[in-house]
Amino acid sequence: MTFDAIAGQTLSGISVGMVLFLIAAGLSIIFGTLKVLNLAHGSIFMLGGFLCYGFTSSFVSLPGVFWWTLLAAPLIVALVGGLIEIFLLRRIYTQEMLYQYILTFGLILIIGETCKFIWGVGYHSVGIPWPFGGNVSLWGLSFPVYNLFLIGCGFTVFIGLVALMRYTGLGRIIRAVTYHREMASALGINVPKVYTGVFMLGCWLGGLAGTLMPPMSVVALGSDMAVIIECFIIVVIGGLGSLPGAFVGAIILGLLNAFGIYIIPKLAVAFGFMLMIVILIIRPWGLMGKPE
Amino acid sequence: MNRLVTTLNSHRFLLLLVLLLFLFIVPFVMKESWVSLVNEMLVMALAGCALNLMLGYTGMISFGPAGLYAVGAYTTAILLTRYRFPFAIAVISAPVLAGIIGGLIGWFCVRRSAVYFALLTLAFAQIIWTIIFEWYGFTGGDNGIVSIPIPEFFFTISHCYYLTLTVVGISLLLLWTIVQSPFGKTLQAIRENPGRTEFIAIHLRRYQLSAFVLSSAFLGIAGSLFCIFSGSVFPDYAHWVKSTDMLVICLLGGFYNFGGPIVGSAVYIFLSKIISKETMFWMFFLGVIIVFLVLFMRNGIVGFLSEKLAPALHGTSRPSSDEEAQ
Amino acid sequence: MILETQKLAKSFGGLTAVHDVNLHIQEGELVSIIGPNGAGKTTLFNLLTGHISVDSGRVIFKEKDITQLPPHAISRMGIGRSFQRLNIFPRLSAFENIQVAVFSQQRKSRNIFARASKLARHETEAILESVGLLDKKNVTGGLLAHGDQKRLEMGIALAVEPSLLLLDEPTQGMSPKESGELTQLIQKLVRERGLTLIFVEHDMNVVFGISDSIIVLHQGKILFEGKPDKVRKNEEVQRVYLGDERGTWSSLLRK
Repeated sequence: MTFDAIAGQTLSGISVGMVLFLIAAGLSIIFGTLKVLNLAHGSIFMLGGFLCYGFTSSFVSLPGVFWWTLLAAPLIVALVGGLIEIFLLRRIYTQEMLYQYILTFGLILIIGETCKFIWGVGYHSVGIPWPFGGNVSLWGLSFPVYNLFLIGCGFTVFIGLVALMRYTGLGRIIRAVTYHREMASALGINVPKVYTGVFMLGCWLGGLAGTLMPPMSVVALGSDMAVIIECFIIVVIGGLGSLPGAFVGAIILGLLNAFGIYIIPKLAVAFGFMLMIVILIIRPWGLMGKPE
Repeated sequence: MNRLVTTLNSHRFLLLLVLLLFLFIVPFVMKESWVSLVNEMLVMALAGCALNLMLGYTGMISFGPAGLYAVGAYTTAILLTRYRFPFAIAVISAPVLAGIIGGLIGWFCVRRSAVYFALLTLAFAQIIWTIIFEWYGFTGGDNGIVSIPIPEFFFTISHCYYLTLTVVGISLLLLWTIVQSPFGKTLQAIRENPGRTEFIAIHLRRYQLSAFVLSSAFLGIAGSLFCIFSGSVFPDYAHWVKSTDMLVICLLGGFYNFGGPIVGSAVYIFLSKIISKETMFWMFFLGVIIVFLVLFMRNGIVGFLSEKLAPALHGTSRPSSDEEAQ
Repeated sequence: MILETQKLAKSFGGLTAVHDVNLHIQEGELVSIIGPNGAGKTTLFNLLTGHISVDSGRVIFKEKDITQLPPHAISRMGIGRSFQRLNIFPRLSAFENIQVAVFSQQRKSRNIFARASKLARHETEAILESVGLLDKKNVTGGLLAHGDQKRLEMGIALAVEPSLLLLDEPTQGMSPKESGELTQLIQKLVRERGLTLIFVEHDMNVVFGISDSIIVLHQGKILFEGKPDKVRKNEEVQRVYLGDERGTWSSLLRK
């Protein structure tokens, strides 16, 4: 393996890892506050991808269409998430976990079939948006610019989220609800509103990832399940509910996938699974977590 | 009051007898296509009850039953096709191997809290699906394994049907015995309050793992039966959509009744055959059905009937029996 | 000596919850632990029963070191407990709540072929009777009145036939009448079964009414221990308590 190849795979691994981070962060934030495991989070991601394809292919002539899409698609996905929270999830918070999980499992089918109905079963692609096409050379090596852009997005969102949670009033409210729901409610915090907001934020992150992914991949049915499993591996590594955990886990998984596919393409998918199993054996509480 | 309990119980017995008689004469009175349908219902009833040992009785939310079901199906298929094993051994190996693999997977899944259990079961089922899908040399990949050398005797649909009926009957009887046993009661206590059981000297994880293994073995039997019935196996058997089928069967019938998944299976398989003929978007309706059930009919058909219908029929609220506590 | 702890300590983050606690409990004693909220009483119970891991120090029960054992093993050795917040099996009947614990005690929990409803009936009913719930045995646990649920929980703890029983606020949330009845029940059970009992309690009437000795915890440390009248007269204890429970304390001093 040459130095060029190592550098190339590292970069593409980290950039895919960044997209995975956005999804896993959404899953984690939702679980942290609402204590709901949103099994349909992969579908939320996929919906973002299809919206990205739908917009960019319908308004080809609009200048900077991708950037308008990047603004609109995650917001639409967040709105869908808001509707799901208000009309479905909210009605069963007091019920057993079993029902919440099954409900989100049912949503996988509904969202998947809706995408199939609107956009069909084919593979769709989205071109790399201006001005991030082509390659840039760094230290004598050439890198796709779009990958660098993705890494920038991932870092920005990570820092933004941590800052939001730690330093803003909104973050304090979210943390209060996360740690002590009843107390927060007694202090006059509108808990249902926070729930809806956090669920929408989580879905917005999933939608953002979904919109960013198509230029370096394809939009297709089935990515919902593929992505949710990757997210699960990430949270097993990093711990569910922890942002730094999701960040580290996503980078590790992204790198592992990138090098796996380079070294043994046939077994690429197996690496993530194997890592998850190893973590469960040697550090069952995850890399960043503490023993329960 | 006591008399009422006895009447209800004897009615239940009578119902069971009628059902058994009906199932027995199915091949004589129905067209072949309907016999196949009932056959499928029986297999899925067993799969549903096996899954419900975890969901309804132990409170372990598993999203990957199809993985173990596929292990059972592929065990029988591969032993017959590749290694020409005797039929009986190929069938008996299915629950054994499913139990062993279930034990391995379960060991990982019970190591962390309930939410990790849910996501790990889904991930491990996906691993099984991936292995089956990718390992062309051994499992046939996405082509599956077709024309499995099943004894000619079972080519006749009614013979196959009686085999299924017998095996499912015995398996359900075993499952019923398990849930009524001290072990079964302990599982229900774990469902109600896992933390508390540790302070009455119950080794929580070991019991959860045992439930996982038992459930896996019965799922393996169901898979093997379906393999014999269809004469072929495909990676679809391990797909998460198959797990959805099983979850819906439990949800539709009701988690907190032994008979729930049996009723659920009958209704679900019937519905899926009718609706999937009419529309390409059957899965969409399936999703809608799940959401509807979760929001408005959490206790499923059996729960609904015993809560709403029984009191109305008898003009009094149903007396508490073992059934309600489950 | 049935239970001994040596320099038992536990902290959460920077907060020391239990600090070098040395307990010496004699067999057959009825010991109560009192102290203001946050004194570390429940944490101490959780350490003794393996519910949370010990930072440092040792727990010795019947001359065996049980410091690192998991809850089920400690429970098997004969330490039973109840919890501050209700902790029963809500959708099982009162009978089944007890029966599951009896199965565990009789090592029958792993039996998968017998019919549970026919087993251990006598033992289960005996326990239901001793906690006064025999007439409610078919009622679903979660539907019992609060006081009855507390009794049920005690029954579950008793069913594993512990030699040491830890009760965390057994009379919490009870009316004075219920609490009086329960106190009598506790005394009766302890005498009948030869139990050693440690309990945490806020109701000073109960504490001073039945304890052989009292341990006062304050900020994770043992502030004082001794017979009830010595505790009542101790000035340091008074000072700690004057802050939040002046009323209770002064009423006890007047006795």
